Amino acid sequence: MDNIAGTKSSLTWAVHLSVIILVGLWLFPTVGLLVSSFRTADQIATSGWWRAMFPAEQNLVLRTAAPAEQVQEGGLYVIEGNLFVEDGNPRPEATISVWGTSSRDVAAYEVGDTADMGEDGRITVAENGDYRLENDTEFEGRRGERVFVTAKTPPEFTLRNYQNVLFDPSNREGMAKAFFNTLTVTIPATIIPILVAAFAAYALAWMDFPGRALLIAAVVALLVVPLQLALIPLLKFHNEIGIGKGYLGAWMAHTGFGLPLAIYLLRNYMVGLPRDIIENAKVDGATDFQIFIKIILPLSFPALASFAIFQFLWTWNDLLVALVFLIDSTGETTVMTKQIVELLGTRGGNWEILATSAFVSIAVPLLVFFVMQKYLVRGLLAGSVK
Amino acid sequence: MNRLLFAGAAAVALSTGMAQAEAHMPFTPGEGDFSWDSLEPLKGVDLSGQQLTVFGPWLGPDQAFVESVLAYFADATGADVRYTGSDSFEQQIVVDAEAGSAPNVAVFPQPGLASDMASRGFLTPLGDDTGEWVKENYAAGQSWVDLGTYKDKDGNDDLFGFFYKVDVKSLVWYVPENFEDAGYEVPESMEELKALTKQMVEDGETPWCIGLGSGGATGWPATDWVEDMMLRTQPPEVYDQWVSNEIPFDDPRVVEAIEEFGWFARNDDYVAGGAGAVASTDFRDSPKGLFSSPPQCYMHRQASFIPAFFPEGTMVGADADFFYFPAYEEKDLGKPVLGAGTLWAITDENDAAHALIDFLQTPLAHELWMAQSGFLTPHKGANTDTFADPTQKALNDVLLGATTFRFDGSDLMPGGVGAGSFWTGMVDYAGGKDAGEVATAIQNSWDALK
Repeated sequence: MDNIAGTKSSLTWAVHLSVIILVGLWLFPTVGLLVSSFRTADQIATSGWWRAMFPAEQNLVLRTAAPAEQVQEGGLYVIEGNLFVEDGNPRPEATISVWGTSSRDVAAYEVGDTADMGEDGRITVAENGDYRLENDTEFEGRRGERVFVTAKTPPEFTLRNYQNVLFDPSNREGMAKAFFNTLTVTIPATIIPILVAAFAAYALAWMDFPGRALLIAAVVALLVVPLQLALIPLLKFHNEIGIGKGYLGAWMAHTGFGLPLAIYLLRNYMVGLPRDIIENAKVDGATDFQIFIKIILPLSFPALASFAIFQFLWTWNDLLVALVFLIDSTGETTVMTKQIVELLGTRGGNWEILATSAFVSIAVPLLVFFVMQKYLVRGLLAGSVK
Repeated sequence: MNRLLFAGAAAVALSTGMAQAEAHMPFTPGEGDFSWDSLEPLKGVDLSGQQLTVFGPWLGPDQAFVESVLAYFADATGADVRYTGSDSFEQQIVVDAEAGSAPNVAVFPQPGLASDMASRGFLTPLGDDTGEWVKENYAAGQSWVDLGTYKDKDGNDDLFGFFYKVDVKSLVWYVPENFEDAGYEVPESMEELKALTKQMVEDGETPWCIGLGSGGATGWPATDWVEDMMLRTQPPEVYDQWVSNEIPFDDPRVVEAIEEFGWFARNDDYVAGGAGAVASTDFRDSPKGLFSSPPQCYMHRQASFIPAFFPEGTMVGADADFFYFPAYEEKDLGKPVLGAGTLWAITDENDAAHALIDFLQTPLAHELWMAQSGFLTPHKGANTDTFADPTQKALNDVLLGATTFRFDGSDLMPGGVGAGSFWTGMVDYAGGKDAGEVATAIQNSWDALK
């Protein structure tokens, strides 16, 4: 009785559970990236993002104020202040458990103890970071004493990375330019292949001509050709016919590289449309062009939309084709991906910028995805379900 | 009336143009210790309307620095100078040159690739004048000429590359206050350095932070170690023979240098995280161990660019400092220094490109970057008072005080070795493979390339 259609399988919970696990697995790295984008470079280097949400026990190297701040109290020279205050800005509250004055023994003293540093004076550190450094002789030198503390610090997040990527004057202009350049590349590079592929797909699906099967086989074969093979010959060709590096070249390259998949996907969908409608139209005297425009195109909308999403995402995220066919050495035609790579610095390693840029550049594709997602699923099933 | 309007408009245009230029020019012409006079001859060159494209490996802050230097060239000559940087410079310049859309000037991070491009006819010779100039005005001038001289398409030697901006690699970074707390002294010789290493272990500390990780280039920091050791165990002639493969890679003298590196890197007690962590630690994260509490290590051998990866707010000179990676006292090989540098070459000839090479010969071009950050130069005429801080000056003194200067050997070897099997071989060696075996494998890969 279990397998009768319409009754619920008793294993639904297993399905739900595995869906939840899979979704969790998929989202896990993204959450890590999101958390990292709110942390500073030093935080990323010292602890994992999963620790960022909780108060953490940290070993910190802090410094007292410089000798220039000292005041005289009777026969004593005194420097007072709070260790957590940096350049006048207090850091979030932290509680010190143990501390030390030498890198050799960072947990030598309890809170409230006084450390005798010989001729460098005596220092007392309180739980909240307040300290009092006193000496019988005048403090000398330009820098304060180092104090090593073990402290529990609350979670700390910063918006500075986003500020750096989006609003920093040195790259704000570049980012804005890159954003519009990317749109200039992606929109035509999405529309042109769809236009070409729709015609081709109709011909391959519904028009009888010799060699049709061979052509379809060739298109399928082209799916497996890696585009890297064509980079240099194609760029040479562009230079020879005079379009050089620029938007036109980038559109053509994206169109060429996207066409095999587009034709294959659309043809499979169009072949699945009911034969009766098309034959009826032919009997009524419709030309191929009229059938294509009035019947096939409206019916193929889900497939067209899903390919558009694919092509848009791939051109949006593309760096390779842009570097080869678009970005020339004047630097005017930079795109988002290139701009993000530049933010990483000469030797890379600015993880906080990478994480932040990833979320900035993900915004537009996410928007496109959520607006058009119902077509994506329908289009993905193109030809597989009748 | 009309004339007045015109003049007004011209004044507005002029002032906005100047405001724009100033934004990219951090130093006011005529002020400070800079050799502003050296710019005078270039002011006679009128390049207005010419576009000059420069393509190089620098991004981020370095890009801002190079653009600020180029701005002065643009200001003097009127040329429209555009710089673009890329982290995949090595691949992109080849693609662009092959396809015929090369920039006017390319800045190569290593001579190997430039030599390769020259032999395929993609570079324009700089002329004998430039060669003479380098010989006279650079410290160890002849070696800089040799490094920039390659065979062209027909097999004739010519000067193609002009060195501008060099890095010193023979440096050990440390935290002076940590040394003070523990009572350590800066070692003056390799013997002392090894004794200090042992001393630290006896005191229960870990002396070194070594990290070889660098994504696809993992292993390169170890090649610098081996090259430095080569210069400290053998005379420079043997180093040259090794780099040009006149002696095989598995020569006992080379194997000895590799094992010298192993003395430091393959001892669990000497390296933070143990010998197993050497290959997997990223070179950018490795120096952070110096600054942790308690310190994970006390010393870190790396080139002059590494302060960029120190924790935020670290003051070089106070919070962190360097000492020269010393040579063996008993071997009497002087003060060898290992370095690297970027060379500028003309990939698409025009007047502006040649004028730019002339500009790079002025002391001013060097001083402008010296006064900012991360720039060292062998130019003897550049005023070292313009260095932004004393540490930079001290770094440059290491360069100028070298008795032997040798260029990073892995950059001079063929790409398949110097940026391939040498890197991977060093990762294998750090992982515990025998030095002789590793060297033989590298030699085999070299033979396969011939």
